[in-house]
Amino acid sequence: MIIKIERVKVQSRKSEEAINITPRVDDIVEKSGVKNGVVNVMTCHTSSGLLVTEGIPCLEEDILTHFSRLFPEEEDYHHRRYLDFDGRMGFNADSHLKSILGGIQCMFPIENGKIVRGSRQTIYFMEYDGPLERVYLVQVLGE
Amino acid sequence: MIDFHTHPVLIREFTEKYPNYVRVAREVFNIGNNFQPLETFFLQMDAAGIEKAVLLPIACGRARKDPVSSNEQVAELCGMSDRFIGFASVDPMAPNAPKELESAIAQLGLKGLKLDAALQDFDLNDPAVFAVYEAAASLRIPVLIHTGMSWAPETPLERGQPLLLEKAIRRFPKLQFVLAHWGWPWVWDATALALKYPNVFLDTSCLYYDGPTEFFQFVFSKQIPTTLVERSLRNQVVFGSNYPRVEIKNMVKALKSLSLTEGCLEKIFSTNAERLLGMRQ
Repeated sequence: MIIKIERVKVQSRKSEEAINITPRVDDIVEKSGVKNGVVNVMTCHTSSGLLVTEGIPCLEEDILTHFSRLFPEEEDYHHRRYLDFDGRMGFNADSHLKSILGGIQCMFPIENGKIVRGSRQTIYFMEYDGPLERVYLVQVLGE
Repeated sequence: MIDFHTHPVLIREFTEKYPNYVRVAREVFNIGNNFQPLETFFLQMDAAGIEKAVLLPIACGRARKDPVSSNEQVAELCGMSDRFIGFASVDPMAPNAPKELESAIAQLGLKGLKLDAALQDFDLNDPAVFAVYEAAASLRIPVLIHTGMSWAPETPLERGQPLLLEKAIRRFPKLQFVLAHWGWPWVWDATALALKYPNVFLDTSCLYYDGPTEFFQFVFSKQIPTTLVERSLRNQVVFGSNYPRVEIKNMVKALKSLSLTEGCLEKIFSTNAERLLGMRQ
């Protein structure tokens, strides 16, 4: 049984952004030495996300637009207060809620050393509170 | 557009270079966010439409063992990008403070003085502080002073009362005082000082509850009328975010949400800061 974990940094450049990380995840899987198993991908942050959808710009825009419609920035959030443990205000409840809605992780099977995914399935790191340097984890398990 | 109030306390590149940098951010400044590469600072400015940012150090070594960013660190960052404008900070209780300020301006190329009586632990009306003001006046640099509440630990509120500055403001009529955080919660006190004295400026870096837009809507339309800013203080207000306690873009958005004219916003975001920094007449 092989278990490998890699921490990958990604620099978001906008307030909100869908970043295609599929090639990076593919590469990590192929170099892991695992022929048959699974790969888990997870963001390490609570105001970003990780999701799978068809990899086309119109959908990237739709996801961000409609998440913002569901969770507008200017709303009556209890999170809008001073967080003493952070030394700063918490006014990004909308980012946290988008992260919950879109999810923070995904899992794919590995067969013959490659990820098994549908031809349209693209893995996105979702920035909801950027620009920031972020970290996501890629864990490969198998034989 | 210029952000007149930022603190370079979360620069990843400094965490290994300066051994006490992390402790100061966590324990003295009191901020829990992740350290970020310098690139994030610029991207945050870009996301907000800000071209230049004033970097503020706090010389609190006597009171807190280490400064919250040193003059040298600020100068180092300014050397990396012309998007940064560095201020100096000195401990007014140090006998050589006026000389140290002169050196920071002349040798390090810094453009103003930052003081914080609560974090640096000094009395704003101590004669030693007036010697530093004297030096700043001779150097023709602005002085940005923390007023109002501070989120840093062990910082008594009473040290941030804006009216404590009136004696110095009167003594040095040619020295330009920038009252940070608009003196919150003493918003009217800070406003009155700016109304009465033309050498008093106010920065907008105040956010103590709710979100930035909600806070600004209350403070700058219900607590004091927006018309007061538009009609009476338009030449004495500078935009400040207090980044990284707040993201710059959110404070820009909050300020733009007020019913201020484009002309007034232009002064607050750009012209007034440029005048203070000697970038224009």
